[in-house]
Order: sequence, then C-alpha cells, then structure tokens
Amino acid sequence: MTAASSSQEPGPCITTEDFLKFREFFYRRTGISFEPSKRYFVDKRLVERIEATRTGNFRAYFTLLRFQASGEEIEQLTNLMTVNETYFLREEYQFKCLVESILPEIVRRRTSSTPIRIWCIPSSSGEEPYSVAMYLLETWSGIREWDVEILSSDIDTGILRRAKSGRYSARSVQYVPPRWLAKYFKSVGDEYQLSDDLRQAVEFTRVNLAEPGDTLDYRNFDVIFCRNLLIYFDDRSRQTAAETFYEALNPGGYVCLGHSESMSRISSLFEVRKFPEAIVYRKRLEAK
Amino acid sequence: MKRILIVDDAATVRMFHRGILESAGYAVEEALNGIEALEKALEAADAPFDLYLVDVNMPRLDGYGFLKELRRQEIPQQPAIMVSTEAAAGDEMSAYQAGANGYLVKPVQPAKLLTHVRLMLGEATR
Amino acid sequence: MALVKGKIGELTDRDTGKPERNCEQLAAALESADAGGRRHAARAIGSCPGAAAVLVARLKSEQDLAVREAILHTLLRLRDPSVASGLAAYLRSEDAALRNEVIETMKRLGAEVAPVLRLLLSDPDPDVRIFAVNILDSERYPEVESRLIEVIEHDPHVNVCATAVDLLCEAGTEAARDPLVRLKARFPTEAYIQFAADLALKRIREI
Repeated sequence: MTAASSSQEPGPCITTEDFLKFREFFYRRTGISFEPSKRYFVDKRLVERIEATRTGNFRAYFTLLRFQASGEEIEQLTNLMTVNETYFLREEYQFKCLVESILPEIVRRRTSSTPIRIWCIPSSSGEEPYSVAMYLLETWSGIREWDVEILSSDIDTGILRRAKSGRYSARSVQYVPPRWLAKYFKSVGDEYQLSDDLRQAVEFTRVNLAEPGDTLDYRNFDVIFCRNLLIYFDDRSRQTAAETFYEALNPGGYVCLGHSESMSRISSLFEVRKFPEAIVYRKRLEAK
Repeated sequence: MKRILIVDDAATVRMFHRGILESAGYAVEEALNGIEALEKALEAADAPFDLYLVDVNMPRLDGYGFLKELRRQEIPQQPAIMVSTEAAAGDEMSAYQAGANGYLVKPVQPAKLLTHVRLMLGEATR
Repeated sequence: MALVKGKIGELTDRDTGKPERNCEQLAAALESADAGGRRHAARAIGSCPGAAAVLVARLKSEQDLAVREAILHTLLRLRDPSVASGLAAYLRSEDAALRNEVIETMKRLGAEVAPVLRLLLSDPDPDVRIFAVNILDSERYPEVESRLIEVIEHDPHVNVCATAVDLLCEAGTEAARDPLVRLKARFPTEAYIQFAADLALKRIREI
C-alpha cells in the first residue's frame, strides 16, 4: 500500500491497523464509516495529507489530527473524505419531508398567522434556499394560505454575492424538473439565470455560526436547514451551533442536518423524530 | 439471520461483542450512543433489530435514556439487554424500569453473553 | 399568501439579557422559574466575579437540559481553576445524564484538569476511577498515555483497567507494550482484557 513519490524513497505506508484506527476516529467524529472496500479511497487521501502536512508517516499525522488545537487539519481531511457538490434539489427527500410532514405539523399547531420562518445555513451559492423556495411554490398547497420567510446565511461574503446574483451552471440545475426550469430560470449562454421573483424571496445575511454574538437576532424560526456544515466543525463549535439553533427555533421547531450527519455527534438538546421521508430533529414542545 | 444492535461508546467493546456475536451466527450493527441507536432503531422500523445490547454510560444519551425513548416510540418493541459496570442490585431494577429485559455486568464473558442473548431471543441456550 | 422576504427579528430585552443587569440580578435570574431566563443568565453571568462557584452550585438542582448545557458551556469558557474540582463532585451524582455531561465537559478542560484527575484516579470508588479514565480521553492532553499506563499497572479493578486499555488502542505507543503484557498476565481469565490488550499491542507493532 505504498504511494510512490520520488524514485528513491517509498511514500508513507498505510497499514491495515492504521486504516482501522483512522476509521474508528473518523466514525466517532462524523458518523461516517468506511467499508474495507473504501481502502484505496481513504489511503490515497491520507497519504495526500501526510505529504501536505510534511508529517512523514501515519503515526505522526494521526497525532497531529488528534492534538491540533485549531482543528484545521481535521477540517481539511474531512473535506477530502466527503463529497461536497452543491446543486439544486440536493438531498431532495428533505424538501419532500418539509412539505409533506414538517409543515403540516407546524401549521396544525399554529395559533396565529405570523409567517412561517425557514433558515438555511450555510447558503453557499444559494442552491439550497432557492430550492426550498421553488419546492414550496410548486408542491406545498399551504403556500396559498401562509406567508413564508426564507433567510439564508453564510460566513463568506463572496459566496453570498454569488448567491444573490442567482446565476448557475447547467451542472447545478441538472436535477431541476424541466417545467420548473422553464418557469424559474432563463438560459443565458450555457448558464441559467434565476428569476427576480425567486431571487427576492430569499434574504441573505452574513453569519459565522461558531460566533454566538452573530446570531442573537435569529429567533422564531420554524425550520432550520443546516446540511453538511457541522461535520467540519470541532466539538466546541458544534455545541455553539446547536445552542444557537435551540435559541433560534420556536418550541416544536425542526432542524434538518445533512444526509450522513446526526445529532449524536453534536448535541442532546433535540428530540429525534422520524417521518416517512427523513429523520429530523425537534426542539421540545414544552421548551422555552 | 437475526440482527443485533450493539450500543456502546467504546470502539473496542463494540468490536469485542461483535466478534462473539458474529461467530455465533448473528448479524451485528453498531451505535456509539443513545441518539445514534435511536436513529438506527427508527430507520429499521420496517425490519427491526431482534435485540439491543445497550451500555449504560455514554455521552449525549445514555443507556437508560435510550431505552426510555425507545419504549415511547411507535415501532415494534424488541428485547434489550443492558450492560453495566455497576453490580449493585438497585441498578438492575432501574434497568428493568427503563425498559430493559436483561441485565449483564461488565466485563462480560463470551459464554455468558451468548447464553443471555439466546435466552432473550427465545433460542436454545446450549 | 406567498414567499415573503425574510427579516431578522427585533431583539427583545430578554434576548440581549438586559446589559444593565448586575451580577446580583443575574445570580437571581439563575434561580427563576423560567428556563429561558435561566439559560440567558447562565451565559451572561460569565463575566461576574465568583461566577464559576455560582454556576457549579446551580448544576445540583438544574433539571432543564438546555440550561445545564449553557451552564457547562460558560464554565468551559471561564478557565477558572476551581471549575475542575467543582465539576468533579458531580461524578458521584445519581443522575447518569448529568454525570455524562460533566464528563464530556471535563474532557475539554485541558491541562488544568490534570491535578484533579490525579486525585480521582486514586478514588476508593472504582466507578469514579472509571469516569476519571474516561476524562483522560481528550484530544489536547499528550501525557494521557503515561496516566493510562499507570492505571493498567496499578489499578486493582478490572473495569478501570478495561477502560484504560480501550483508550490505549488508539493512543498507545512502544511505552505501553510491556505494561500491556503484564496486564494480560494479571487478568488471565478475563476475555475482554485479553482481547483489548491484544488489539492495543497489535496497533503498537508498527511505528
């Protein structure tokens, strides 16, 4: 299992025990478990990081991973080990869950007609909040009776600008049903421009979720989407994020995490709820 | 093949119990705390685990918390053996009150684990 | 109805924790009937003198999970040397959930937890010693291995040693080899000890 680097020295070697040690560590941190069939995938990336960090061998690299206070290397490595594409209607089953299970329940309990508030964080280049908007308009009958506010936040102002501009590649819209594509997008060269109506339906803000001071104003949300972000956070930031979500939600409000993510690695503040479409997390009804 | 969910925050313990149970012909899945265990139990609701082997002390949601939550859910309820480091009689009663059907004290000898598992599953114990 | 542009709400007094509240008021708010109020007080009180003691004491009666989390989170931030010993008292609590939360918090305390851990590792109660070994499982604590080796060399209780061996499967180096072999000899009939020690030894083999 050696990676050849120069002609003189063999590259760092990842033994089976190394792989197993790493697998346990990564599973504990992220809930992602690598099957033995993923040996090549994992080894290749470990070697890449061993070389990038100049640690020389797996043992030294593993020590760095475990002891580095900044958590930078864990973040880099996690990035490498996970699939990070963003596109419209990614993990669509959660939007289905929103419309078919979550919103009906929220609406049923509502005693006032204040708007339903949804927070999508991180916004990244906007595919997610705009997907929520489209999905609601196209599939939720309740949109006729209820106002919905969609907020979306990111730490990176550059990407927020991109999100506001609403310009996307063909790759990004590849899973959008043709009827929706025709209705909400205009083709511009080989790209697609989102309609002004939809662009204006989402409020974009800059937020650092690991900074409690940034989110004092975020309150009275019914649903939070936080997909594929917390997996990169260290324990302390994950906890801060969980507390932030707890404060941000109404009692009975919901959090949706990414497909491979789970509150089991993040916080015990939320109840686990299973709907036909997805497992989601709820702030207790009796909570304040 | 009967399926058992092993719930314990220690990777080595999960591995140890997995070895014993797989050698005896059971299929095994793992969870490292009560929240993950609850999620797996819920996800498996259409084809539930046949047995839960549950450690007491785990972060975020411990063994008692998991069992109490599990017994509240509207899914098929399956037997659970709680595995504890405490030998006091009072803890055994708490385990049953939380929803356990069996109780074992660590460290568990393989033969004893298998006997209790078979007992819970209504299989011959020899 | 429709999609309406989202707004960030207006801050209420409760949300900002009323900056003019003094430390006495915050300490009182920590005992109020409203969980939300207690939570905000637990966060805001961090800058008050004596906050650590007040927060540690409040844990005894606090039943709300979110308030407990806020208390523990503030204690973590305080870096007050009394926090480690204050929290250690809760390792004897009957409340398993509280114990586990305290363990998780103490794991993140860093080097200031070391003197308290030393004491806990020689506590007469084996369960307390097990919790202490659990706390050793910290990513920021390079002397972990020496402490774990001390445990497997000297602790009489099989479950305390078992907890230590589990950690050595991830953190073990050459220094642990002979102690692991001696541990196996000390508990020859305990299948778990044999299994875990063999695994730890296997993982040391490659350097």
